Amino acid sequence: MADFSHDGSVDDAVRAATARQSPSTPALSRIEPAQSETGLFSGESVLNILKLIFAGAPLPDVLTIIARLVEAEGQGMFCTIWLLDKEGKYVRCATAPSLPGFISNWDRTPVGPDGACCGTAVYRREPVYVTDIRSDPLWDSYRHLVEPYGVRAVWARPLFSSEGKALGTFAILYRDVGSPSATHLQLIENASHIAGIAIERHMKEKELRRSEAFLAEAQRLSLTGSFSWRVETDEITWSEELYRIFEFDPDVPVTLALIGSRVHPEDVPLLNDMINRGRGTGSDFEYEHRLLMPNHSVKYLRMVGHGRRDGDGRLVYIGAAQDVTERRLSEETLGRVRSELAHVARVTSLGALTASIAHEVSQPLSGIITNACTCLRMLAADPPNVDGARETARRTIRDGDRASEVITRLRALFSKKEATIESVDLNEATREVIALSLSELQRNRVILRTELASDLPVVTGDRVQLQQVILNLLRNASEALSAVDDRPRKLQISTERDAGDRVRLTVQDAGMGFDPQAAERLFEAFYTTKNEGMGMGLSVSRSIIESHHGRLWAAPNEGPGATFSFSIPRGPEGLTGARSLGTIRTPAAEDSERAMGDPC
Amino acid sequence: MLTRRSIVSVVDDDESVRESLPDLLWELGFAAHAFSSAEEFLASDYVDQTRCLVLDIAMPGMTGPDLQRELKLRRKQIPIVFITAHRDETVRPRALEQGAVECLFKPFSERALVEALNAALRVS
Repeated sequence: MADFSHDGSVDDAVRAATARQSPSTPALSRIEPAQSETGLFSGESVLNILKLIFAGAPLPDVLTIIARLVEAEGQGMFCTIWLLDKEGKYVRCATAPSLPGFISNWDRTPVGPDGACCGTAVYRREPVYVTDIRSDPLWDSYRHLVEPYGVRAVWARPLFSSEGKALGTFAILYRDVGSPSATHLQLIENASHIAGIAIERHMKEKELRRSEAFLAEAQRLSLTGSFSWRVETDEITWSEELYRIFEFDPDVPVTLALIGSRVHPEDVPLLNDMINRGRGTGSDFEYEHRLLMPNHSVKYLRMVGHGRRDGDGRLVYIGAAQDVTERRLSEETLGRVRSELAHVARVTSLGALTASIAHEVSQPLSGIITNACTCLRMLAADPPNVDGARETARRTIRDGDRASEVITRLRALFSKKEATIESVDLNEATREVIALSLSELQRNRVILRTELASDLPVVTGDRVQLQQVILNLLRNASEALSAVDDRPRKLQISTERDAGDRVRLTVQDAGMGFDPQAAERLFEAFYTTKNEGMGMGLSVSRSIIESHHGRLWAAPNEGPGATFSFSIPRGPEGLTGARSLGTIRTPAAEDSERAMGDPC
Repeated sequence: MLTRRSIVSVVDDDESVRESLPDLLWELGFAAHAFSSAEEFLASDYVDQTRCLVLDIAMPGMTGPDLQRELKLRRKQIPIVFITAHRDETVRPRALEQGAVECLFKPFSERALVEALNAALRVS
């Protein structure tokens, strides 16, 4: 085996290979050709090669070691191992340790019927044993490439993956004319298996690395990290990008406590809610919360988790977390501008409305006062002008009626929408309102729970009006929570059947609540505890519910916060009643109408 | 001895004002005439007889200030008491600046009216 010196020894190859391994891999200082009695390389050698393969040694090194081990098993054998290229058109020589200059002269052979032995074996998917290359036409084009090495016979066997995919060829070039012996065949078989394993493993690793790199790149580009969470053991695995988003050292093991330390203190209840939900129902979750970074900057994170059971029935969450800071900030700017605009619009229209009301009412009031003054003067005259006084008093009443009419007209203007009477699924209506308010609720850090009764009967009424009421209750609750900082901002909305064939909707918040003595005043128009409110919401809401023959009321909670509920009948009398629902009237408006019915 | 009542003209598109104000003015000792528009007043014989004009600001067609300008152009120096239902704080200073004696916001008291009329008659 004098030729060994040309390409370096097995020891060199092993040293080179092991030098690239991680420290945890058992060191392989030498793989000795075994002097086994069977003439095949020993179990120990095979094991060592497998160890090299799985430690990630470079493929050419591993193949060279295999080739050398085979060559050490007998005299006159030169081993070559060929790899099929990606397109499957050629096999390329990966190692020929005892044939100096071979690879540079002959680097590839086409896969086909005339591919010497190496290309032909892949083409035929079976071994090709050429006993004499001088006479075999397969070698007509290639003979000159091997004759300088004193080669006469070539025995080639295709290499396959575990799925039967062609990987390349293992070939022994032999110095004498002839067929392989049984020992040779066994040697070829064993070497082919190991070479096949080495190549397949190498390809899969490459594939995996490529897909991992692809994924990591995609995560980096989309600022999205992925995670898994074993609920039972709280074992958490993070992708590289998630470490980057949280700005944690990738060597630090992730724990819920560690995550909690980065979550914005105001959002810790959200995190706890998410964890509790995961531990409890195992249902999917979607959350948005903030991170407070060491440099006091704030990041917005959107988390989506999907819970599933592993083979042993244990709950595992797989999820993704996206850094949506940029998007959120621009949305917040937009939202701020929008709400400023809305406020300006509200103030402007309120101002215009006030002016219009003032003008409309001032005209008849002016008449009333002038008439009353005239009346007094006529009565004070000597003799009193009774007829004139009577006339001015009559005019006073007429002007009073005019003022009332103005008020009635204004009320009608506010509520003059034709009510549409239809069957309403209150659950569905509620869900739509929630969907509309979700981003606002999340922005307000409100933890919303919904408990919608599955057996809720449909009600008859005006869907949009009922949704206005729900929206109003939800907004009020959310606003009542906005000042709360010492406890979770919990809000629950629920529906249920109510006594007397009615349906009830309840909105409960843990907000600042209200003075129980003011419970009824809440529903008065222009009564408000809010800085920006007009105090119309609850008053209008109540009139809507009453027009549905229902009831809207408020009660303080036992703990913090308040509960607002309404209960409406589900028909069919709702239908007949609702026909008269063309104009929503407040009780006050009806009173004034009654008063108007009797002019004097 | 009967003194001649001073003539006060009321120009307002609002009917209840036209109905009620002249009666009160009569009770206060004036002779009052009501007109539903500035144009109607200008077309009447009262332009030359009116000692004081009680004039609504916002009217369809010619407004109160329009009439004020028109009278100035015609060199008719009739003292004007504006009345308006638009309680806009900028209205009054502007009206006074343009030479009005007073600007009353509806509904106004009898006393405010009397004071304004007295001021107007002093001017004339």
